Amino acid sequence: MKHYDVLVIGGGIAGISAAKALDGLKVLLVEKSDRLGGILNQCLHRGFGKDMTGPEYISGILSDFPENINVALKTAVTDITPQKTATLRHENSTEEISFSELILATGCMERPTGHMLIAGSRPEGVYTAGQVQEMINIHGIIPPSPAVILGSGDIGLIVAKHLFENNVEVTIVEIKDQLGGLARNRMWLEGYDVKIMINTTVKKILGEESINGVVLTDGTHIPAKTLIAATGLIPDREILKYKNYPFEIHICGNCKEVFPMVEGVARDAERAANAAIENIRRNNDR
Amino acid sequence: MKKYDSVVIGGGVLGAFVLRSLRRYDISCILLEASGDIAGGITRANTAIVYTASDNRPGSLKAEMAKRANENFHELCNDLGVRFSRCGSLMVSFGEKGDEVLRKKLIQGEENGVRGMKIISGSEAKMLQPLLSENVTTALYSPMTGTVNPWELTIAAFENAVQNGAQAKMNAKVIDIIPTDEGYEVKTENDVFFAKTVFNCAGLEADKIHSLVSNDGIRLSIDGADFIVFDKYAPKPDMIIFHETENGKGITAVPTVEGNLIVDSPPREADNSFDTTSEGLDYIIENLNKVLPELDTKRIIRSFGALRPNPHKPDGRSIHSFCIENPSPGFYSLIGIKTPGLTCADEIGKYLAGFAVEYLSAKINEDFDPVRKTGDHIGGEIICLCENITKGEIISAIKRGAKDIHGIKRRTGALMGKCQGSRCSIKIKKILEEYNETL
Ligand SMILES: Cc1cc2nc3c(=O)[nH]c(=O)nc-3n(C[C@H](O)[C@H](O)[C@H](O)COP(=O)(O)OP(=O)(O)OC[C@H]3O[C@@H](n4cnc5c(N)ncnc54)[C@H](O)[C@@H]3O)c2cc1C
Ligand SMILES: Cc1cc2nc3c(=O)[nH]c(=O)nc-3n(C[C@H](O)[C@H](O)[C@H](O)COP(=O)(O)OP(=O)(O)OC[C@H]3O[C@@H](n4cnc5c(N)ncnc54)[C@H](O)[C@@H]3O)c2cc1C
Repeated sequence: MKHYDVLVIGGGIAGISAAKALDGLKVLLVEKSDRLGGILNQCLHRGFGKDMTGPEYISGILSDFPENINVALKTAVTDITPQKTATLRHENSTEEISFSELILATGCMERPTGHMLIAGSRPEGVYTAGQVQEMINIHGIIPPSPAVILGSGDIGLIVAKHLFENNVEVTIVEIKDQLGGLARNRMWLEGYDVKIMINTTVKKILGEESINGVVLTDGTHIPAKTLIAATGLIPDREILKYKNYPFEIHICGNCKEVFPMVEGVARDAERAANAAIENIRRNNDR
Repeated sequence: MKKYDSVVIGGGVLGAFVLRSLRRYDISCILLEASGDIAGGITRANTAIVYTASDNRPGSLKAEMAKRANENFHELCNDLGVRFSRCGSLMVSFGEKGDEVLRKKLIQGEENGVRGMKIISGSEAKMLQPLLSENVTTALYSPMTGTVNPWELTIAAFENAVQNGAQAKMNAKVIDIIPTDEGYEVKTENDVFFAKTVFNCAGLEADKIHSLVSNDGIRLSIDGADFIVFDKYAPKPDMIIFHETENGKGITAVPTVEGNLIVDSPPREADNSFDTTSEGLDYIIENLNKVLPELDTKRIIRSFGALRPNPHKPDGRSIHSFCIENPSPGFYSLIGIKTPGLTCADEIGKYLAGFAVEYLSAKINEDFDPVRKTGDHIGGEIICLCENITKGEIISAIKRGAKDIHGIKRRTGALMGKCQGSRCSIKIKKILEEYNETL
């Protein structure tokens, strides 16, 4: 069984930043998908660092990535045992490894649309905001107009702008009495023709094969060919199936808490890396 | 015209098991399914419980079948390579009337030979299942109750039937049936199939198919139910919880073989669509609060609706037994087979095959192999990040008959995780498109 000083799970900004801060140790960085960078791969808006897109930001952070760090792409960690071993699922094989320290950087996932218990049919055309970002930015598919966006946090607002710029008619529906999100993501709305409905939510989805409208709590009927749920992100720590591990797990980035800004994620990852280094040093002294 | 000993109409759990049972004998058969894939009807949305016979009248066909089916379920699932969990059940009540119903079920169950049932107190129930409410007055414990994934079971039975020489045709909606001297001409839009025997397993449409050869006036009325699904990581009961209110059935909570918890509503009106209703969903949430108050509703990931066909005599009276009709020689109809139809599917299949054997004087098929051969799991890039399903597994599902994202879900378990496909559905659609282009 191969042994690593530190196993880093997740190759988003958190995992990359942590691995970089561990230079000199025997590190394995494991990423499920076929590339590093995580969620930023699908964020093409200029919202990162100094006016960069997600992929630009990733290139920047990877430009001085140490060569001696082992990276396993297309590999999922499927199990972690209390004995400090992990199961890796590679493309065509599985492998057991052991580690001294564990950094968890598995990011977050979107709350699924189904969470909201909206009545009605389950037609095509209902997405989460992240899915729409992936459709537009990675696959070049623009969802059909008009669109209703449920939730006005940062991601809802970013997707709304994106759609609007692609000539999709947009209505934003927010259950609270005012819009959420960072001021800079809200600014563009001024002077634009985007319908905003506050103090309400979607009660029913209409349409058979494809969605053709939604009904709000007060009975208002809005035609829609696309419904996008931007109702929140949840930290993804599913891998920690056992409730109690007899060792410290360094959790960082969006799987610890959802960060609004990428700089915060990188800082948090460095903190986690330092804690791992400290533990290794202490054990060596003993 | 293609000639068969038997035509099976409908690719739900019943059609699949009838088809498989026919191949235990030397009977040539074909299954005709209206839609593009099997397991897309009633079978796709139900409570997934493998019942004991404690709900059925002693001496009835249902009781007899449910008892045998329940006892043999483990072996059946072993043969078919399907997950089965004999998790046991607790039926809980909250007052005098409910307590009385539980005591009656115990007596009925024991009369039907159900093993291991026991009445326990509310506090004992809470010790067994700590998430239960403190207000439970009585509980009926039943260790033999289990759960199975209905579409996994259906697909497995179907694949095993085909491995044993059965044929099948999708997108083949039966539109007419003409009796002839030797049998029946079964017409779809593009084909005519001749068969000596016909098995009508058309689910929600079974009364229409039946009326093509019979004027006995049996018809279906349709009602429905709503369901919610909790993610795998939610703390949950590890037994099935049946909720008996003071006025009849409440909710049912089932820890599925995948590790989720599904919760259903009692029957409610339906307009012939699989839509969910706010009435049903609200009922579930309200009653979960009463029965399992500590369940974390933030962990709900999905809701879905179900349709249930209820058979009636022409005068409107309900038919309570399994409605299995033989309106003309060699023609058999299953009309409105509801709970425990999933549990009894193999029994019903064998029962109907028995008629065919007699009618056709068919011999045993010595080559029949009840064990489903499953392909090796193939690797490749991980596409479904929640369930770690690879591209290879998705392509293998397409080769085995998946036509769309639902078919992939039912064959691989992709899209069923916590993100409900938000991270992989687009990739899966692309794989489907690419595969279809190479054909
Ligand atoms: C849709 C969206 C838009 C955002 N927009 C902005 C913005 O405009 N500006 C800004 O500053 N910030 C933004 N953020 C916030 C923040 O910058 C990012 O969320 C941040 O990059 C998250 O980094 P991370 O490494 O924690 O998570 P992720 O980038 O999600 O990375 C986690 C990685 O872990 C991998 N993984 C998960 N489980 C396993 C496993 N078991 N085995 C192996 N690998 C695994 C995943 O494949 C993924 O690549 C946005 C966030 C989201 C979700
Ligand atoms: C809400 C609910 C909960 C239930 N819970 C349980 C449970 O927990 N345990 C249990 O044992 N049972 C349960 N049942 C019962 C069980 O689900 C059914 O008995 C079973 O699924 C019925 O399967 P089927 O094959 O008859 O119907 P279906 O699955 O509907 O299959 C019929 C097929 O016929 C096809 N078809 C229709 N018309 C035509 C045509 N003209 N030509 C060709 N094909 C056609 C349809 O497309 C469909 O695929 C439940 C039922 C409901 C409704």
